[in-house]
Amino acid sequence: MSEGYATETTLVNAESNVYDRGLDAAIGLSVLTFALGMVTLVDAVPLSASGAALGESLGLILAVVVGGVGIVGVSSWANVTPVESQRVRGIALGLVVSTLGLTVLAYAVPVTLATLLGLTLVVEAVAVAVAGVASRVETVDTSPNTSAGLLAGVVFGALGLTLGAAIGGSLVGFDSPAWVAVALGAGLVLSALTVLPREDVGSTIPAALVVGTLGLTIATAVVGVGWQWNPQSLSGGFTGGAVIPIFVLVGAILSSWSAAKCRAGFGARGREFGAFLVINLNVFLMVAVMATIVVFVTVKGVGYALHGFTIGALSALVLLAPLLVVVVNAARTPAGTDDWHTGARQLFRLLPLAAVGSVAAVLLSVLVTGDRLAYPFTYSVQVNRAQQSLDTAIAVTPEPTVGSLLLVAPALLLSVYFFRTYGSLRNVGSRVGWAETIRQTLPLAVAGTVALTGLFLLVGPRPLGLPLGGTLGVAVVVLAAVAAVVLAALPLAGVLAGEGTLADRAQDRATLFTLGVFGSLALLTSALFLQATATVTPSVGPVNVVPGVALAGAVAASAATALVAYAKRQSGETLQRRLLGEEIALGLTGVAGFLTLLGLHVAVTKVSFTVLGVSVANAGTLSWPMTMQTYIPLGTEPGGILPAVVGTVWLVTGATLFAVPLGVGAAVFLTEYAEQGRFTALVEIATNALWSTPSIVFGLFGAAFLIPRLGGDESLLAGMLVLGFMLLPLVLITSREAVKSVPDEYRDASAALGVSQWETIKSVVLPAAMPGVITGVILGVGRIAGETAPLILVLGSTLNATESAQVLDGFRFTAQPPFVANDALLSASASLPTQVWAVIAAGVSGSPSMGWASAFVLLLVVLTFYAVGITARTYFRRKLTHE
Amino acid sequence: MSNALNDSETKQTTEGTDTQPTSTTTAGETEERVREAWTDYDFAGDPKLSVEDLNVWYGDDHALKDVSMAIPENSVTALIGPSGCGKSTYLRCLNRMNDRIKAARIDGSVELDGTEIYDPNANLVELRKRIGMVFQSPNPFPKSIRENISYGPRKHGDIEKGLLARLFGRDDTAEEDELVERSLKQAALWDEVNDRLDDNALGLSGGQQQRLCIARCLAVDPEVILMDEPASALDPIATSKIEDLVEELSEEYTVVIVTHNMQQAARISDQTAVFLTGGELVEYDDTDKIFENPESQRVEDYITGKFG
Ligand SMILES: Nc1ncnc2c1ncn2[C@@H]1O[C@H](COP(=O)(O)OP(=O)(O)O)[C@@H](O)[C@H]1O
Ligand SMILES: [Mg+2]
Repeated sequence: MSEGYATETTLVNAESNVYDRGLDAAIGLSVLTFALGMVTLVDAVPLSASGAALGESLGLILAVVVGGVGIVGVSSWANVTPVESQRVRGIALGLVVSTLGLTVLAYAVPVTLATLLGLTLVVEAVAVAVAGVASRVETVDTSPNTSAGLLAGVVFGALGLTLGAAIGGSLVGFDSPAWVAVALGAGLVLSALTVLPREDVGSTIPAALVVGTLGLTIATAVVGVGWQWNPQSLSGGFTGGAVIPIFVLVGAILSSWSAAKCRAGFGARGREFGAFLVINLNVFLMVAVMATIVVFVTVKGVGYALHGFTIGALSALVLLAPLLVVVVNAARTPAGTDDWHTGARQLFRLLPLAAVGSVAAVLLSVLVTGDRLAYPFTYSVQVNRAQQSLDTAIAVTPEPTVGSLLLVAPALLLSVYFFRTYGSLRNVGSRVGWAETIRQTLPLAVAGTVALTGLFLLVGPRPLGLPLGGTLGVAVVVLAAVAAVVLAALPLAGVLAGEGTLADRAQDRATLFTLGVFGSLALLTSALFLQATATVTPSVGPVNVVPGVALAGAVAASAATALVAYAKRQSGETLQRRLLGEEIALGLTGVAGFLTLLGLHVAVTKVSFTVLGVSVANAGTLSWPMTMQTYIPLGTEPGGILPAVVGTVWLVTGATLFAVPLGVGAAVFLTEYAEQGRFTALVEIATNALWSTPSIVFGLFGAAFLIPRLGGDESLLAGMLVLGFMLLPLVLITSREAVKSVPDEYRDASAALGVSQWETIKSVVLPAAMPGVITGVILGVGRIAGETAPLILVLGSTLNATESAQVLDGFRFTAQPPFVANDALLSASASLPTQVWAVIAAGVSGSPSMGWASAFVLLLVVLTFYAVGITARTYFRRKLTHE
Repeated sequence: MSNALNDSETKQTTEGTDTQPTSTTTAGETEERVREAWTDYDFAGDPKLSVEDLNVWYGDDHALKDVSMAIPENSVTALIGPSGCGKSTYLRCLNRMNDRIKAARIDGSVELDGTEIYDPNANLVELRKRIGMVFQSPNPFPKSIRENISYGPRKHGDIEKGLLARLFGRDDTAEEDELVERSLKQAALWDEVNDRLDDNALGLSGGQQQRLCIARCLAVDPEVILMDEPASALDPIATSKIEDLVEELSEEYTVVIVTHNMQQAARISDQTAVFLTGGELVEYDDTDKIFENPESQRVEDYITGKFG
């Protein structure tokens, strides 16, 4: 803080006195109480905890608080995120001090958490009251209004009414009407106390009274942990376990509001600060409630869901690569200067990077030391009616092997990503004559190889008994591979040879980058497929040619990329830097592309590829029994719920494929073509009604109407259709809004160019409406993915299925209409929600922990769909605004 | 002027009087025949567009009344008048954009090179290809600059790109590049955007966006360009760029431009048509004549700023 300000002008009052510091501490204490209230509400720490157990829990909270405040403090001290506000500093300090105090108390005094919380509330009440009085007798400088206001009066009146009713009821009993008098009296007194006196008294004393009463009730165990109240008029009852946390939460909110008003000296500033705190606490409450649901399921399910999960460290590292790109991008995004502090933003952007880095380091250490990293997990199963305890481990193994699919998926993703990041390089760099020649011959070479592949595909590798595959095939593959190696080396050679600085050379030879990378990739890809159809795998010694070339290509591309990256660092010119960035992206495209080919080769030929002890193989680097295995009846191995996962994925896919085109089509028709009037209004009402229709009704419709028409049995197709019907209205509603919100200017502009309405819709309106449409699909998929009731009626919901629905393999072509048939679609299937329902609620079979694990997997599946949706939406949004 | 004319009044005066137009005529004397004389603009050659007795109603609102006007080729025709007098309505009639407004009813005749465009068998696509339009506020598509330019030709099948086209041996990438460059150069935008043709058009400034819209319109190779206050949303520098552009375009194209800025009309147009409240075309002549020596008192009042 600059001390100068305070002396020069009263505009900034930086000095804080005892009153201020005390109130800061009180606010800190209230915030802590609030947090503890939430902790006890979700039963994370029992209210009856005391002594060392309580001390430990509070110690953990202390660690969190000290860690959080500490890191902010340190970065503030280091001027990364300077926190200038006295109030923020004070509250942070208050938070630390009060947590420390409570922890010490918990160890020192043998009281329960409930009593401790009650006492805390009393302390807060006293603090607030003292502050109010101090302000009223003007020992401190404040600027209160004449009254705390009607709204506060009403709130405190209502609180008084409730408290009075409770107290009166328990004193005189609810039988005598006297309790009504007590309740009304308390309400009136409190609201009068709030409204009539000056603001400083009006917003402290009533709050202190309420908070103090709540605190005393808890502290004196009038409402204790074991307390119960079952009013005759209600079938339910209240328990201390639920009432105490609520008392604590209410008390904490009230006292923080009141203390905040005092701290800011009442008046407009006081209201502002008070409202600010209350709103924030509310938001935390909401977020916490939402997070609790997810965390709860995760905590209960994650252990079982991951039993026996094994992954090779190298595979894990490969999988981490796309994540690394994401977090690097996040960290590199320039932190703006506007709404929040640059330093803090940078900090948050670096955190994920640090996290990924540390995971990578752990995986590397597993690889290097060769020690398995395992987290043991014990669970019990029913075997032959006897409970049997088993244990497996969630493990990271040090095998230096990458699964081919685990390599292909991220590598392909990355190569596409890098390809997209590189801009329009086609106009950059001087053209080299011979490079132009290569560019022209390349397509011919690739086309020739592809043609040969087609030939082998048609007539087989040994047409008319001629060993064409073994001779011509091998020759072409080898030739293509050699050419690919040369091409892959072009960028590297281009950068290394020639005149000028490294950067100049790299920029000059940009053509070689495009040509080398894409030429080599194209040739090698065609060779890969030729090799598969010719059923040959040419090799030099022990090394297969095609993957060998791919590896060499990857190495060459990474070398070129590294060189260019170095050159870019050295370069002083901004334009050159930008252009070199594109070449780096090209180089990385090459690296990822070659690695994709390497993985593909292994996946296609099923022969693993080993070099220097590291191998790319088809199996054995990832095992996740819960989602990769089916149920094993009577087995001691628990098996998994693969059929249910597959079922849910198909259900959602099918429903989406059914509902999205229909919904979007209808939305386009209603918005663009139909005359706005009674008909469209009617459709709108009908859609809204359909959206609010209970899911079980959809299920009944499916069972009574669809199933008789779909072969008479419960089936996957019926499930898809029913879920599709449920999805339809939401897609229709959101798509309509999205299409409507596309500005008419676009339509006018297109019409003025003589473009027809349908073309306009296709190329202008729909792309602009896409993000909105996808939002609707995301919301709808979230609803249908977890839908249980209709599936129980129409899906056949096999429990603990031992076979997953083979939808893709199930398609058969038939001679008579409808020409295609799919038995898998017409038979019953498993699904995650019904699995969860059956195992947990109906207790059909399997252990409850398996049910929780299924719920967790369901959550993962839904989140995955969600992530896909969000990605798609971001993509379309970006296309509309950046690109 | 307080008493704007309505139909019946006009007809009555037509019956009664037969005065010659003078510069001191009052509103009461403004009558059909006089107005016909005032709006009868003589020029050499055939008109590019000729409008006869055009009436437009929006529901019961008679927005355009008996407008007749012949527009010469390769020139700039300015339409001026107070707001709400029907300039935009008139302009939209010329390429039948009013067909898109459900409430609008149009009566009368518009001929393009002697062909009736309100013929029931008229080909709207062809018509709008030949008569392009630039709107009041810049409205580029949320696509890249390149795609904005090639949008029209692509939709008309003049440029084919992409996988399917390539499979059929037709890839017009080079033609597209050429078209984009030519259109952008014509719209005086090439130098500013040639290094970011694949960036989104919404990232351009307002003035650049408007020139992009002009380039987009030019890309379909029109004969007439209709512009509805193309510079009203722009700053002075961007406005003057658009004005220069319009003057250049008039060498090859017939430009009809609505503006509420009289200096602008005076600067860039060859002839000016003045519409006044009620949807009537009051006077149409050489721009110099209109601004220096208008026949109608109301026009003079409007031009000198006395018109309420
Ligand atoms: N789409 C429409 N629907 C109904 N009335 C319209 C519409 N467009 C214009 N009008 C009416 O027609 C008259 C002329 O409008 P317009 O041609 O936009 O005037 P200007 O362009 O000269 O300001 C105005 O009275 C306006 O209210
Ligand atoms: Mg207008």
